[in-house]
Amino acid sequence: MRHTQEHTVTALVHNEHGTLNRMISLFRRRGFSLSSLAVGDCEEPGLSRMSIVVNADDNMLRQCVMQLEKAVDVVSVESLDGKEYVHRELAFIQVDAPPEKRSEIIDISRVLNCEIVHLGLKTMTVQVVANARKIQGLIRLLEPYGIKKIVRSGTVAMSAEE
Amino acid sequence: MQSEQTVAPRSGAQIVMEALALHGVDIIFGYPGGVVLPLYDEMTRWPAIQHVLVRHEQCAAHMADGYARSTGKVGVCLATSGPGATNLVTGIATAIMDSIPMVAITGQVNSWAVGTDAFQETDIQGITIPITKHNYLVMDVDDLPHALVEAFHLANTGRKGPVLVDIPKDVFTAMSSVPFPTEIVRRGYRASAATNDTAVEAAAKLVAEAKKPVIIAGAGVVWSETNQALAELAEKADLPIINSLLGLGSIDRQNERSLGMMGMHGEAVGTLAVQEADLLIGIGIRFDDRLTGKVAGFAPNAKIIHFDLDPSEFAKVVETTLCVPGDLSETLPAFTAAVQPKANEEWWAKLRGWQQEFPLVVPDSTGLMARHVLQMLDRTTNSDAIISTDVGQHQMWTAQLYRFKRPFQWLSSGGLGTMGFGFPAAMGAAFANPKQEVWAVVGDGGFQMTLQELQTAVEHKLNVKICLVNNGYLGMVRQWQELFFENRYSHVEMGSPDFGKLAEAYGVTFFRCSTREDLENTFEQARAADGPVLVEFLVEMEENVFPMVPAGKANDQVQMDPALPKDKAPMGIPA
Repeated sequence: MRHTQEHTVTALVHNEHGTLNRMISLFRRRGFSLSSLAVGDCEEPGLSRMSIVVNADDNMLRQCVMQLEKAVDVVSVESLDGKEYVHRELAFIQVDAPPEKRSEIIDISRVLNCEIVHLGLKTMTVQVVANARKIQGLIRLLEPYGIKKIVRSGTVAMSAEE
Repeated sequence: MQSEQTVAPRSGAQIVMEALALHGVDIIFGYPGGVVLPLYDEMTRWPAIQHVLVRHEQCAAHMADGYARSTGKVGVCLATSGPGATNLVTGIATAIMDSIPMVAITGQVNSWAVGTDAFQETDIQGITIPITKHNYLVMDVDDLPHALVEAFHLANTGRKGPVLVDIPKDVFTAMSSVPFPTEIVRRGYRASAATNDTAVEAAAKLVAEAKKPVIIAGAGVVWSETNQALAELAEKADLPIINSLLGLGSIDRQNERSLGMMGMHGEAVGTLAVQEADLLIGIGIRFDDRLTGKVAGFAPNAKIIHFDLDPSEFAKVVETTLCVPGDLSETLPAFTAAVQPKANEEWWAKLRGWQQEFPLVVPDSTGLMARHVLQMLDRTTNSDAIISTDVGQHQMWTAQLYRFKRPFQWLSSGGLGTMGFGFPAAMGAAFANPKQEVWAVVGDGGFQMTLQELQTAVEHKLNVKICLVNNGYLGMVRQWQELFFENRYSHVEMGSPDFGKLAEAYGVTFFRCSTREDLENTFEQARAADGPVLVEFLVEMEENVFPMVPAGKANDQVQMDPALPKDKAPMGIPA
């Protein structure tokens, strides 16, 4: 087995008909394992920036960057390995919260800097903005209460300096 | 990218024809249908652009491909929406695998009906994403001039490839005043990686140090037309040149430093040379698995230098010592200038020894064999014809025995391995090169996949000659079943119609040959005949292609032709 781990790459792409489809097709076809993909508008109209977390060994990562750079849709690619960069993911976690459990969940959320974004009769929804590992930790802490739903944005990342 | 200037309004259909004219397109291969009617109507006003009506859209793509492979120019094919577009798919996939410049234009249902499962709607953009260099669905006629010019630019620059432009019916009829862009500046598009002088110098140093160097030259040399530089390089540093399948023609096969093709069915000398080499210089190749065999056993003693314009090929398959990025038209002359003259006499003595010991075998049997036919094809055409093939045994024998001289002479589906390619590709070449002799070498299997184009050839009195090597089997599959499945033949017997009657029905000149005595005479008659000619050679049924590296094995497991003395056949090469 080759040693794989998660690597974060960002790609500036033309925002055209079929671009996202082509990017996804490239990952699927070449067998690159995506852990996370987030796409959105960026500082320039007509372009989007993609944040990609790929699970790969060094050679696959290199191939992944090369294949992205080759794609006609792609303006530039930046591999964030070994660079100073910021990265966050947003998640909503909806958890069973009968009145007697509410304060415990609120405590956990407060300790981890999370926000309660919805309070219902039976559930609470916690918003967390963190790295993937911290989100995983929060999920573990909330599991005993009964998790109803989770939605995650995927990691967005940016190198810290030009 | 749109300019402020405008031109007199014209329809989308006219824009397409103007774009073709702008790019010097003199011929397109296509098939009409509902949504492309406005374009076919516009076409009547453009007599300078010939349209060839095919009998199946797959062949339109193969003809455009054959046109491209035989000229180096962009081939253009055209189909309607839905099934017309999907029929192009095999041809487009064939082109992307071999990096062939092609523009495919498809009609689409009206823009307002896209996404409604309208009659003959198919998502051809989505379908062709993995098999095009780029593609477009043009929903606004104002975007059409730019899309078409960019399509030609992308198809024909850098690592070439097919580009598809999908155009809804109402976009053909809508009017636009947007002019064509005078240049394409697409951010982030790098036709070629930047050249690196340091790498070229380092490569030259490795050549100086090497005792057993070899070059494997591929299609990159053909498409960059750097064959002259390659020949100079080989002469200056006394380097042997091996070709990948699609690299044939990058060096004159009769050049003393050419060792022919290597790979699964390559000549033994090339395989042995790469096994023992201490320096392997790959130029414009992508280390295809049919060339490397099992990668772990490939070139075990060699440092590897890789010249290519596409950096994504570096270290994709094999670990390399040194990568030299950049367009070969820049790097190869620089490399030639940088290498020091040298002689590799000991190495050449060894190579010559292998050539003598393990030559290609053309048996001197009384019965007619495919190898007799293909050797005679080479001799009778003075190695000078444009040759296309299908895929299988006849393809490998042609690659082994035809002594290609120059780029754009050899048309074969190397990457995708598309049966049915040979005949339509030869037709595309014949349209492009009316004064040259063009032969399609096909088997009885592949020919029956696309032979409906005989009618197209007849209509155009096309000078295309078909060398049909009929052994009554899907020969290569049968060979594998014989060698690796203990002779259990499963669905490889290939029945055929009476090809003489078929030719007569189409009005095609026909010859049949089943003996060695008649071989030369048959070829001479066929060569003298005008228009399309079908020549059927009834050959021995169970002839095998050797040498052979079994699939998945390392190249040191090469099986030599059993006709060679057994004790000399190496299983494992001395270190």
